[in-house]
Amino acid sequence: MLSGGCVAETDTPQVACDAGPIIHLDELSALDLLGEFAAVLVPEAVWLEVSRHRPEAFQREQASLQRVTVEQEEDPAFDALAQALSLGAGERQAIQLARQRSGAFLLTDDAAARLVAESLGLQVHGTLGILIRAARRNQRKPAEVLALLESLPDNSTLHLRADFLAKVIQQFKDAYGL
Amino acid sequence: MTPIETTTVQAQIPTRLFLEVEALVKAGWFRDINDLFLEALRRYLDSHRPELIERFAQEDVEWGLRGRD
Repeated sequence: MLSGGCVAETDTPQVACDAGPIIHLDELSALDLLGEFAAVLVPEAVWLEVSRHRPEAFQREQASLQRVTVEQEEDPAFDALAQALSLGAGERQAIQLARQRSGAFLLTDDAAARLVAESLGLQVHGTLGILIRAARRNQRKPAEVLALLESLPDNSTLHLRADFLAKVIQQFKDAYGL
Repeated sequence: MTPIETTTVQAQIPTRLFLEVEALVKAGWFRDINDLFLEALRRYLDSHRPELIERFAQEDVEWGLRGRD
């Protein structure tokens, strides 16, 4: 059984963010969970996307989000993959940014973006991982994380199948003895 | 050519989003709002495979519980 507060020994990495996790975490009033990363990098296209769909996320300033202009690099293989999987500008830039920053994670809730990023060797995580990690990193008590997980269908636009979410919640409860 | 069978759906979307949709149609990017929604739905279904989403989510659960970073 896990206990809250078993913070890992490693340094926290930088993360390059796609729009999904910023929007979903803000919907859950949990954007501050990103504040623990060494830097939270938001590419220009993602910044504009969040500004359009969830402007309040930037007004709260809980996670010191850094707006970053992404250097465009020619990479026909990446372009072809991104086009084949219909990645948007934000997803493309977030992947490019993560590739340009050594050791940076990509945060995305988009399955296609994650598929492309993992095929390029990037470490990728999403909102669900960030929420569950919060208990391990002692950012929230396990019971608080449980409440966030249970509130996903009502309070966020992160869509998961009800049965699947129930299984995830059970795994979390089992891990923390809740 | 056999006409494609269609179904009419009603949906509520944020007004802000609808105004963006309307602007794209007015600018001539789509013939009408139906075309835009059809394209958006096709793209979503192409890139959001349920089995993939759940596999990634399960990986995230493992990382969240037992990762080292």
